[in-house]
Amino acid sequence: MRKFFKNSLLFILLVILLAYPLDLIISHSLKKSNYASGEYNTWNDIYNGKINSEIVIYGSSRALRHIDPNLLKNKLGFSAYNLGIDGHNFWMEYLRHITLLKYNKKPKYIIMSIDIWSLQKRTKLYNAEQFLPYMLLNKDIINYTSSYNGFISLDYYLPLIRYVGNKKAVVQSIENSIFFPKTKSKRKKGYQGFDFVWNNDLSNAKQKMKHYEGKLDIDLIKLFDKFLLECKEKDIKVILVYTPEYFEGQKFVKNRKEVITLFENFSEKHKIPFLDYSNNEICTKKEYFYNASHLNKTGAELFTNMLINDLKERDIIISPN
Amino acid sequence: MLFNSIDFAIFLPIVFILYWFVTTKNLKLQNFLIVVSSYVFYGWWDWRFLSLIVFSTLVDYLVGIMLSKEENETKRKAYLWTSIIVNLGFLGFFKYYNFFLDNFITAFSFFGTKIQPNSLNIILPVGISFYTFQTMSYSIDVYKRKLEPTKDFIAFSAFVSFFPQLVAGPIERATNLLPQFYKKRNFDYSKAVDGLRQILWGLFKKVVIADTCAESANAIFNNSDDYSGSTLVLGALYFTFQIYGDFSGYSDIAIGTSRLFGFDLKKNFAFPYFSRDIAEFWRRWHISLSTWFRDYLYIPLGGSRGGNWIQIRNIFIIFIVSGFWHGANWTFVVWGGLNALFFLPLLVFNKNRQHLEIVAKGSNLPTIKEFFQILITFGLTVFAWIFFRAENIGHAFRVISEIFSSSLFSMPGFKNYIIIFLVFISIIIEWVGREQEYALEKLGLSWNRILRWFFYYVLAMLIILFVGQKQQFIYFQF
Repeated sequence: MRKFFKNSLLFILLVILLAYPLDLIISHSLKKSNYASGEYNTWNDIYNGKINSEIVIYGSSRALRHIDPNLLKNKLGFSAYNLGIDGHNFWMEYLRHITLLKYNKKPKYIIMSIDIWSLQKRTKLYNAEQFLPYMLLNKDIINYTSSYNGFISLDYYLPLIRYVGNKKAVVQSIENSIFFPKTKSKRKKGYQGFDFVWNNDLSNAKQKMKHYEGKLDIDLIKLFDKFLLECKEKDIKVILVYTPEYFEGQKFVKNRKEVITLFENFSEKHKIPFLDYSNNEICTKKEYFYNASHLNKTGAELFTNMLINDLKERDIIISPN
Repeated sequence: MLFNSIDFAIFLPIVFILYWFVTTKNLKLQNFLIVVSSYVFYGWWDWRFLSLIVFSTLVDYLVGIMLSKEENETKRKAYLWTSIIVNLGFLGFFKYYNFFLDNFITAFSFFGTKIQPNSLNIILPVGISFYTFQTMSYSIDVYKRKLEPTKDFIAFSAFVSFFPQLVAGPIERATNLLPQFYKKRNFDYSKAVDGLRQILWGLFKKVVIADTCAESANAIFNNSDDYSGSTLVLGALYFTFQIYGDFSGYSDIAIGTSRLFGFDLKKNFAFPYFSRDIAEFWRRWHISLSTWFRDYLYIPLGGSRGGNWIQIRNIFIIFIVSGFWHGANWTFVVWGGLNALFFLPLLVFNKNRQHLEIVAKGSNLPTIKEFFQILITFGLTVFAWIFFRAENIGHAFRVISEIFSSSLFSMPGFKNYIIIFLVFISIIIEWVGREQEYALEKLGLSWNRILRWFFYYVLAMLIILFVGQKQQFIYFQF
């Protein structure tokens, strides 16, 4: 019996001791995959200090899919990177911001895509898988994700725990290491345009509710204010941009005006430009959108060019060329 | 309680410690601990249905005692029928009531009579098909004077409710398991380690192979109208490995757990997918059920005695009843009938007992002939599983007609590389260990300790990382 217990405990000890190296192996392989909607590519570039761009674009999926950094680079002459994070608001955008500054050169300009969702906080940690390979003992990730309904405390502090039962991530990691060791990223400098046509998202939303009214989060408003101050101190120029929204979708949101006024106030208070494209002609043309909030690839190219022209014409970004 | 749950991971060591350290000096107390633990194990799912087990135990215990005292044949028969009616009554009510009702309604409406359905919302008690068959076999064996009835109620209760095999078998015979409760069990290191190895392999088959295959199989079968023939073939293959991994995995965990407590259960699977014909397959698949039907249905019906027609009739009866045992759905009946059809040529040409030994015994590879025999048998089995998995007969036929269309030659979807890789690895391990009680029994024993432990570590880690979904075992529903 003693031998049985001794060997059983020894095996359990082995499992515990090897947990950390195994965690590293899984995380290393997972980072190289296109899992978690391709967010790993952007996170990898941030942590590996590969952003180092003069212009960075912040925001949600509306930043990610609306502003092409390659066009910015070609036409403005500044290196650019899109750090838009799908499904998230400023809380997570700020996490990206502080991580960016930690591992990369500070940017000259931040194009901050804002909208009615920017200062609302969701309860569930959307696309939580994107944090898996980076989150172990990572203070910033712990601070900015633990208030969401996503991970348990042990996930942040003990190796492997977050992978237990997370079969999809583990399978992706093994597949990536055995079958697809050289996965190509679907993003270019963080940007991902979609060749989609108009879908039913808006009509589905209208069937579910009469209006949408977003609840602004007071902590997020404070954080946003703090961010603008910090940027000023660090001599980073922030440009607020409200990217196009299809006009029928705009009518659906009840407190839209209140949100826009809030951003106008920020613009005035911090003396930063605010470019609002929600009244632009493009917002009436369905062919440039795939749903009320998102431009398709053609629309995104058109809009990015429009934005470049405005930035140039208004001398907001002075091209070195 | 599921074997693949954190609850069981806590429950098992507690029972193990109490069993070997607290109750080890008193056999009655040790058996009582097994009964209590088994009731906790079962009651974890739904304590209300414990009453069924207790009632079934009481009935068969009393029937056994009455049978031993009674010499009058008519009365003995009456006692036996009491056990059969009670046990099959439970099964009939909980498992088949709504099925028969629905079919009566359909049959009557066919003749123009409309009946107001009065179906009940009946929950199927987990494992009812297993423990009722186990207790019934006790009464039948006592009736046939093959077994001395027990007077030890605790031992009998432990035999009926023994938690490792309570909900999904192997269906034990009283002649094998009951005497083990009368004898003092001593802790045997090699037996316990062997048990752990078998649990490890069982969990691997269940958690890693079966549950992962299940995801793809479910996705394909639940939306079968959207998929090509080639994808549906892949779906049938996923299900083939799902059901094997699930059920043989459960049996391995059950047998391994029993070994930790010093018990030996019957082997339930003997590498069935390496069979060279359907007869061999059925000697290797769910052995405890096949032999139950052989001993308590096939042989009483006349077995292989009598003319060809009698034999054919008996084969169809046993396969169809076996199919129906799996569930109250015509798909299971067709599945059973289909297997009987596959069996028929072997019976007619008297070739049903030509492959009694495992294939390629003593050599590394099968001959080309054996390889093709295995392939054909496997193909027939996969085909029959389509009926087993389908929602209804119409669904099965839609799947089959799509498989035999030109879309069979298109590129299949759902190419889950990692599961294909893991299934391939497990087939190799099973092939290497096919002459043993279970695949991992001797594998690695001659390796040096570091390598062997690394191998166990890889299996253990795959189980731990894949375990999240807590998928129920398929055979719980039967």
